[in-house]
Amino acid sequence: MDVNALLLELNPQGAYELRRDGYWLVWPEVDVRAMARLMRSREVRLATMTGTPAADGSLRVIYHWDVGAYLLNVETTATDGRLATIADILPAADWIEREIRDYYATEFVGRETTAPLMLRDTDAPGLFSRTSDVGHQTDPAETSRTTLATKDGESR
Amino acid sequence: MSKIPLGPFHPALEEPYKIEVTCTGETITDAEITVGFNFRGIEWLAERKNYTQGIALLERVCGICSNVHTMMFCRAVESIGAIEVPERAKYIRVVMAEAERLHSHLLWAGVACNLIGFETLFMTCFSLREQVMDVLEGISGNRVNYAMNRPGGVNRDITDPASVLAAIRTIADVTTKQLIPVLTTDPTVRARCAGVGILTREDAIAYGAVGPMARASGIDIDLRKSAPYEAYDQLSFDVPVRQEGDVFARIVIRALEILESCKLIEQAIEMMPVGPIAGGLFPTVPEGEACVRIEAPRGEVIYYMASNGTDMPARVRVRTPTFANMPTARVMALGQGLSDLALIQASIDPCYSCTDR
Repeated sequence: MDVNALLLELNPQGAYELRRDGYWLVWPEVDVRAMARLMRSREVRLATMTGTPAADGSLRVIYHWDVGAYLLNVETTATDGRLATIADILPAADWIEREIRDYYATEFVGRETTAPLMLRDTDAPGLFSRTSDVGHQTDPAETSRTTLATKDGESR
Repeated sequence: MSKIPLGPFHPALEEPYKIEVTCTGETITDAEITVGFNFRGIEWLAERKNYTQGIALLERVCGICSNVHTMMFCRAVESIGAIEVPERAKYIRVVMAEAERLHSHLLWAGVACNLIGFETLFMTCFSLREQVMDVLEGISGNRVNYAMNRPGGVNRDITDPASVLAAIRTIADVTTKQLIPVLTTDPTVRARCAGVGILTREDAIAYGAVGPMARASGIDIDLRKSAPYEAYDQLSFDVPVRQEGDVFARIVIRALEILESCKLIEQAIEMMPVGPIAGGLFPTVPEGEACVRIEAPRGEVIYYMASNGTDMPARVRVRTPTFANMPTARVMALGQGLSDLALIQASIDPCYSCTDR
């Protein structure tokens, strides 16, 4: 795979940074569906996606692509908690999008349904967001699931 | 048309998960997989434990490839902190990783033999697996959670390399003389598994399949070769690849990989340099982020870690191989007979504990 050609084709103006662990690109305005279509046509595997809260409360979503010796990590932001789905282009994204919704309540626009993956059908999405201030006590016993149950008002 | 649920609790399943297949007659026309029954919130917990506690926590992601997860956690820390690992520790990590691959593959081969109906070969596989467990116990003092890794090296040296070599040579010998001939040439195995549960190369890429699953579908990927880590770039080994994409191809791949792991352990033991096995005190982890990956027994594992400079990671993300491989069960099952479903699932070598974390 010609990684340089792929990077140019993906974003000719992109300020790619080659770190110890792969290429990184912060690209807030990325068209994720166009990116997914390009990657599928070039037989580039979607390794995974990572949702991670930013300092301003938004959710950074990083698309990790396998480009051989390196990962290509493309970072964008879920504006207003929404991001276009790529699961219809790359089925590899189906479970990942469902899991990110489970943890951060991000809506992947364009999906017919987004069933919970790790949570139960009756659970509200956004488990990690809802409990972000829970469990940081110094006593490890306070990080137990009972704390969560108390907060949610239901048994777990 | 009928719907048949299997799981989440079923005598044939070691771990809880559910697959509901729609059948027309005996033919599967659709399949829906439900996971999450083992969800423990390990990523959530990891953000609330300090780095030392995190190693012990992440070791519990999986009961078979537990060493992989501590190695990944430590490698993520090492990547953020630009921490170098001593050469001897790199070789020890290879020995542990390959012994764990032997453990995983032999366990899987035993289960596969049992499913196919080879009771005696099942016993042979588990007997060999027991020897691998003894090797792991001899090195680490433990049989499941080895506590071998730390940022910047390993916790224990290999003090009796001769016993490791003797066990590995026995495993290689029995595998060559008994296991591989049966698994690769026996007409019963071939009749039961060839042409069953095909995953095409195109589907393998689209679904993001990894490890032996991908290699059995003609995709030549193995991070030990394509993105070498630890001491793998110093060692000689082959990466078996098959084009058929069926259950039989997955069996052959894993059987051949047992021998490759034996080769790697032998080389690592013989080439291991003298020297320290770790750095000094537990390092301070600076602010930063890293995404690391290695080739676990079931395929690529990915860890994303973000640090805000405190003694606890700000984010830990774990993507296990079964998480990537399990969705392929649906495409592999379509058009197959209901009686093939158990074999197709087993050919993934699934681990739901890993998947659900």
